[in-house]
Amino acid sequence: MKTESRIGIFLCECGGKISNRIDLPQVSELLRYESWAHLGTYPYPCLAPGLEAMRQEVQANGLNRILLGGCSSRVMKKRFTKGLAPVGIEKHQVEVINLRDHVAAVHEGSPQELARKAAALIAGGLASLRLLEPYEPVSLAFQGPVLILGNGISGFAAARELAHKGMESILFSKALTPERVLDELHRTFPGCRLFCGDMAVLLREVFTNPLVKVMPDQPVEYIIGGVGDYHLGLKQPDGSVAEVNGAAIIVSLDREFAPADLDYIGGGERVCNMLDLEDRLVEGDVKPGKVLFWINSPEHGQAAQEFAAMAAWRDSLLLVRENPQVQPMVLYPANVTLPLTGADLMEARAHGIGLQSYNTEIHPVVQSGYLSYVSPTDHLEHEAEWDTLVVPGVPGEPSAKTQELLRWLPIYPENGGRLKKSHIKFWPDQLPDESLFFTGSAGGICDLNEVLQQGKKAARGVLGLREKARQGRLVSPVVVHVDKDLCEGCGLCTEICPCGGIEHVKPGSGPVPRETDNHLCSGGGTCAATCPHEAIKILNNTAQQLEARVKAMVAQMQENDILGFVCGWGGLSSAEQAAVKGLTYPRGIYLIPVNCLGSIDPSILSMAFLNGVKGIMLAGCTPTHSCHYHYGVDHCWYRISAMKKLLSLAGLERRRIAVGYVEVNEPESFVGMVESHLDTLGKLPPLPRDDKTRAKLWAIHATMHRPRVRWVLGTSLRRPTEKEFPGSQLNAVDADETMLDVLREEFTASRILKAITDQPLNPPQIAQGMDEAVKTITPLLTEMTKEGRITIKGWEGGYPLYATGKP
Amino acid sequence: MNAKKAKKEKAKKEKGDGLIRFTINGQSVQAREGWTVLETARQYGIHIPTLCFHPAVHPIGSCRLCVVETRQNNLTRVVASCITPVSEGVEVLTDSEEVQNVRRWVLEMLLANCPASLQIRELAQECGVTSTHFTVEHPEDACPRCGLCVRACDEVVGVRAISLGNRGVFKEVTAPYHQRSTDCIRCGTCLYVCPTGAMEQLFPQVSSE
Repeated sequence: MKTESRIGIFLCECGGKISNRIDLPQVSELLRYESWAHLGTYPYPCLAPGLEAMRQEVQANGLNRILLGGCSSRVMKKRFTKGLAPVGIEKHQVEVINLRDHVAAVHEGSPQELARKAAALIAGGLASLRLLEPYEPVSLAFQGPVLILGNGISGFAAARELAHKGMESILFSKALTPERVLDELHRTFPGCRLFCGDMAVLLREVFTNPLVKVMPDQPVEYIIGGVGDYHLGLKQPDGSVAEVNGAAIIVSLDREFAPADLDYIGGGERVCNMLDLEDRLVEGDVKPGKVLFWINSPEHGQAAQEFAAMAAWRDSLLLVRENPQVQPMVLYPANVTLPLTGADLMEARAHGIGLQSYNTEIHPVVQSGYLSYVSPTDHLEHEAEWDTLVVPGVPGEPSAKTQELLRWLPIYPENGGRLKKSHIKFWPDQLPDESLFFTGSAGGICDLNEVLQQGKKAARGVLGLREKARQGRLVSPVVVHVDKDLCEGCGLCTEICPCGGIEHVKPGSGPVPRETDNHLCSGGGTCAATCPHEAIKILNNTAQQLEARVKAMVAQMQENDILGFVCGWGGLSSAEQAAVKGLTYPRGIYLIPVNCLGSIDPSILSMAFLNGVKGIMLAGCTPTHSCHYHYGVDHCWYRISAMKKLLSLAGLERRRIAVGYVEVNEPESFVGMVESHLDTLGKLPPLPRDDKTRAKLWAIHATMHRPRVRWVLGTSLRRPTEKEFPGSQLNAVDADETMLDVLREEFTASRILKAITDQPLNPPQIAQGMDEAVKTITPLLTEMTKEGRITIKGWEGGYPLYATGKP
Repeated sequence: MNAKKAKKEKAKKEKGDGLIRFTINGQSVQAREGWTVLETARQYGIHIPTLCFHPAVHPIGSCRLCVVETRQNNLTRVVASCITPVSEGVEVLTDSEEVQNVRRWVLEMLLANCPASLQIRELAQECGVTSTHFTVEHPEDACPRCGLCVRACDEVVGVRAISLGNRGVFKEVTAPYHQRSTDCIRCGTCLYVCPTGAMEQLFPQVSSE
């Protein structure tokens, strides 16, 4: 790939769908002066005959990059990658430009006019392809034990499975004997005492197996490293930190249950929590008579109620088995389905366990010895008798351990306290093997059996990684690369990375360059767009490539045309859906699909304006819940806001750039956005091309590259809905004004630099060129001289002569 | 066994230049082993209407709209061209009376099955079908149950978030347990490939939240 690029361009006729609308011979003609090794038009490159022809061209011309002018890249790229794999073409070497859905199907206009647009889009693709870099995945070692953290019960199942397959593990647990674990079990899994026999066997096996090392739980000081090589720092009682190394991490977190508040029921000893009942069961202190389990509290959600109903059913079974004189009954809400089998129901009948549902719309009323409820079958109110009334526990917050781990691992709390590994959802082939294993009921209420299965599954995942490593196939895919020479270790990327792909560093280790764990990286790219020193790049999807693409496209655009960035999810899908639905929109917008709007470096926006584009529109997913990269679209919002501020500082219209949000299936909204923005821009003149405006645009672009600006921008990246502000900012207006001050200062500094690039000038001359008062720029000149960004070349008429460069 | 034998024989025949020669509508065409009749026809610019065919996924021949007549060894068959491999010397007719007849019936059934689909109505119009002999039971239905979305979700995306539920006349595109799929990544591939625009209505019912 380091060898020169040999690009093959394959234009698709799509059976007339493209060739009838776009004059393809003219597209070829317009691309004549671009550098490529092959250019051809094919009826259907995507079908077997077309792929055959492509393979022949690749071999005949030694092509190493393929550009297709066809339809949707999302849908068709896999087909081409598969079809061209036999001749050594890899995924990243193929680029598909969507001529059908971005040009042919959605625009009115003559085939010649559309050919110009098609050629511009292809020229952009060519410029980007030329900058491809070699892709060499890094082989990873996978040595050491598996670290099982979090105190969850699933950890034991994982440890046993690992031990069976001869893999060492270290399990951190609060309870250090099997008996202690069982005694604590009902706090996290009430009603699961029925399984205790099997659990005891499992636990004994784990505690005695030489491959499993059970260590007392200690506070986590840090977790650093990546798959194959994790380092876990544990705080010792004496304050020192002990480090344990491992190849993989299994996080096993369970949700604890707390006793429900029973004060409003009263009843003393006769009314109890399910947790208390379990204690009584252990002590064998259960009073004979009618035991009524009342599954109440719908506020904890249906899953919790289902869980409680199952727990009640199991406890009833235990009760009758041990005390035949007890008559249990489970009263559960009608909207909950009990997942009981026919055999279960037969057993219930045999033991006289009542299972009764109640209408949730009419709240049951507790009386002394009775509970009245409305049956959903006959709509009559019935009374259930009780001697002991049992209500389920309340699902509590995940244990305190959680907070320690969340600090270091990409696990996030969702609404309702549920933990999730990440809500990022991708195409499976965008992500490598799963390498972070999260199990336990903290991820969603479930019963013991299921949790143990999760543990087993996690262990199998780890074993899969080990197997891959043994065969030498465990490779890091290299998505994100941090340039160690440029990185200053500020840690901004780690802070904002949503997927945990940028590794943490030990606390107190100072500014050290960051490492990446590409097994976790989602390729969202907001880290690269944030880095103040531009040290991060997303391999083969770099800012430089996007810059080249924009430049190439803008060069072929007319003065009233605009650029449109669409994110790969909501934006792109809606844009393509517009074509499928047969909608049309003006052809003045040239679409560039990106993975996420958050990956667009702020300098790309300024660069587009510098190259003379009239306006920019961006279409992304609806913030925040739809953004596939957590906050990518929010991050982009701040970059656009900075661009708007700079435009107005330069005396240009802020409304030249606009962002809109669409969902996957909202083509009409997308078309509306395009029409509205083109309409707005229609009222504006094209970007002035005089020297003064150009100098200002140059200064805007230079400002976007300034580390200070990028740093301030990076630290202000947040969700616009947040009410807390970083640093000393108190409110939204303050925060915004701070940003504006920084931009103004750096913009003026950049303008000064531009003014003195060609010849040394004195302050009045500089000020005159910039249309500013001398006194506004003198403090800045002094400061810039101190910083060494400009020098005093000499003196002239009592004024210093400023110039760029070193003295 | 028979298929294997036939393949071997075919391989013997092609030893020359690896090309399979046959005719479509009297026009002599050349294809290679593994191509289908539909692919070859498209390569030569011969139009065959399709519905459930998409180059991104494997063809399954479910809509039967791409039917062609093949004549070989005095045997005449009407087959779905998207899943029929090419064979030496076969005579393919894409617009014979027999084909037109089958296609018309298929379109009439589609019109009755998914009357709400604009695309289907346009397709029928192209073939001169404007009304149907069958009873329209669900006038709001636009989905022909061709399974293209299901195949795309499996083969292109790789998540299998949607599937075809039930059987026979009750067949429908749905997510497991009729609940919004948690596997869905909301990429919109199913929307893009849907040939009748039915996915637009179905998407909110099957996609993840």
